[in-house]
Amino acid sequence: MYKIELKNISKVFENKRVLKGINLIVNEGEMLSLLGPSGCGKTTTLKIIAGLFSPDCGDILFNGKSIVNIPVEKRGAVIVFQDYLLFPHMTVEENIAFGLKMAKIKKPKRRVKVREMIDLVKLDGCEKKYPSELSGGQKQRVAIARALAIEPKVLLLDEPFSNLDTRLRESMRIFVCDIQKKLGITTILVTHDKEEALLTSHRVAVILDGEIKQIGTPAEVYEKPSSPLVADFFGEKNYLEGEIIKGFFVCKMGKFKTGFDKYPRVMAMIRPEEIELTDSEEGSGFWGRILSKQYAGDKIYYKLSANDIQLKCMANSKNMFEANQRVWLKIDFEKTIFFKAEKS
Amino acid sequence: MKKNNYIFKITMYLLIFLLISPLVILVIWSFVRIWPWPNLLPRDYGLRGFKHVLDPSTKSLRVLFLSVGLSSLVTLCTLLISIPAAKALGVYEFRGKGFFKMLILAPIIVPPVAVAMGIHIAFIKLGLANTFLGVVFVHLVPCIPYAVRILTNVFEIIGESMEMQARVLGASPLQTFIKITLPLMAPGLLSAGSLVFIVSLSQYFLTFLIGGGRIITLPMLMFPYIQSGDRMMASTYSIIFIVTALIMLLIMERIVRNYYKEQNYFYI
Repeated sequence: MYKIELKNISKVFENKRVLKGINLIVNEGEMLSLLGPSGCGKTTTLKIIAGLFSPDCGDILFNGKSIVNIPVEKRGAVIVFQDYLLFPHMTVEENIAFGLKMAKIKKPKRRVKVREMIDLVKLDGCEKKYPSELSGGQKQRVAIARALAIEPKVLLLDEPFSNLDTRLRESMRIFVCDIQKKLGITTILVTHDKEEALLTSHRVAVILDGEIKQIGTPAEVYEKPSSPLVADFFGEKNYLEGEIIKGFFVCKMGKFKTGFDKYPRVMAMIRPEEIELTDSEEGSGFWGRILSKQYAGDKIYYKLSANDIQLKCMANSKNMFEANQRVWLKIDFEKTIFFKAEKS
Repeated sequence: MKKNNYIFKITMYLLIFLLISPLVILVIWSFVRIWPWPNLLPRDYGLRGFKHVLDPSTKSLRVLFLSVGLSSLVTLCTLLISIPAAKALGVYEFRGKGFFKMLILAPIIVPPVAVAMGIHIAFIKLGLANTFLGVVFVHLVPCIPYAVRILTNVFEIIGESMEMQARVLGASPLQTFIKITLPLMAPGLLSAGSLVFIVSLSQYFLTFLIGGGRIITLPMLMFPYIQSGDRMMASTYSIIFIVTALIMLLIMERIVRNYYKEQNYFYI
C-alpha cells in the first residue's frame, strides 16, 4: 500500500506552462479522480507520476520517499491508457504475462499469476486470442489485468472508459471500482467526465488550466465549489450579482433572506435545477417570463428572463409551461452559494 | 456493370501480358544460339549460357555468392543505421525536421556519379578504395534514403505509445525495442529490407568505381555481355539475377514471419 505525494510539480512544454505547481496527496488505497477538461494537464500529471516525463521542478514521493530519479520501469506506477494499447503480436495470456516476464519471474509462478488475473477480470476462454479478436470491453479488461499482474504500487487510469459505449462504460466502471476495492490499490483516475469522477472516486481533484482548483469528496466539490470556475465545470449555472445587507441578499430582483454575510458584494450561484417554476407566488422568488423550452424526456430545459437577466432552469416534466408564459421562479436563497464578486 | 467488368479484365490481362512477356523472351533468349531477324522462332538452341555460369573456372558462382553476401551486409547495415534515424524523424518533434526529411533524400535526388567521384577521392585517402568494406560503405549512399523513408512512415504509424506502455510495465529501453518496437515494425522492415537489397544488388557504377575492378559483383559480370550484344549470356545472367533476388526476398519474408509468428496482427 502506497501513499503518493506530489509537491509543487511544474512542467513546461514548448513555452506553454502545462502544469503550474501541482500539490496533491493520494492516501493509501484511495481512489482519486483528476477531473478537468481536455488539455488541462491531467494526462501530463499521470505521465509524470509514472516517469514517462520528468517534472521541471517539484518532487514525487511514494510512501515518503522521493522517486523522481527512479527510471520508469522500476517505479511501479502502471498507466492503463485510453486506447488500451494491447501488444498486437501477443495473445491475451502473453500480454498479461509481459510485465511479469520483464520482472524475470519464473514461468510456473508466472502461469499461476496470469491464471489468477484472467479469473479476476473474467476472461476465461480468451487466453489464446489476439487483441484484434477481442471486443472493446474485453480489451479493457486485458489492459487492466496486465497492469494489475505486476502488483503495481499505484494504478493510473487515463480516461479508461471513454472509448466504450454508454452501457459498457457503466458496467466497466462498476467492475473497476470493485477490483480497486478488493485489492485496495492506490488509484488515480483521469477523466473529463464529471459523472464518472463523482461516481467512482473517494475524492475528486478538479484541475483547470494546469492548477488544482479544488480537492474534496464528490459531494464537497459538487455542492460547495470553491470558485465559479469549478462550479461551471460541473454544469452551467446562473449567477446573480448583488449585495449582502444585514443578512439579506439585495439584487435587481428584490430582497431575499439569507444566512450569509461573509462578503458585502457577492455573486449568488443558482443551479438550473434549484429553480422551481410555479403559476402563482409561492415562497421566496420573483416573476419571470419563459423565453424558450427544450424537451428532453425526463426533464425540460427552460430559458427564462426576469428583469432583463437571462436564467436557465431545468425542471421535471410534471408541469409544462409554454413560451411567453409568466411564471414564478421559486428560489431558496438560504441554501444558495455566494461567491465574492469579481471586480468588474 | 458487365461492360465495366470486361474492360477491367481486358486491362488486367493486358497488363499481366506486358509484364510477363519480356521475362518469357528473356528465358527463351538464354537458351538460344541464333535467332535471325525474320524468323518467328529461334533457329538453334544451346546451353552455353548456363554451362558458363555453372563452370567453376569462370568463377560466376563465386561472384554470385559474393554479390549476395555484399548486398545482405549492406541491407543489414542500412537497417541498423536507418532505424534510429527513422524513429527520430517519425516520432520526435524537433526544429528543422522537415529540412532533415528532405536532406535524407538528397542522395537519390543528386546523381550518384557526382557524389561517387568525391567519395572516391576520400576513400583513396582513407585506404577504402578497392576494398570490400569500401564498396559496402558506398552502397549505403543510395540505400539509406529508401530505408529511412519507409521506416519513418512506419514509425509515424506506430508512434510512441506502445513503447510507453511497455516501459510502464517494467521493460527497459532495450527490452522494449526488442519485444515491442521490432515486432511492430516487422512489415516495414521487410519492405525496406527487400527494397534496399535490390538497390544494392543492382548497383553497377558505384561498385565499379569504388571496387576498382577488384570487387566483382553480378551486374559487373553482366554488363560486358549486354554491351557486346551477347544476348544469350546477358539473358542467362539476367535470369540468375532475378531468381537470386526472388529467393532472397522469400528468405527474408520467411525469417520475419517465423520470428514474429504468422498471425496477421496489424490491426492498427
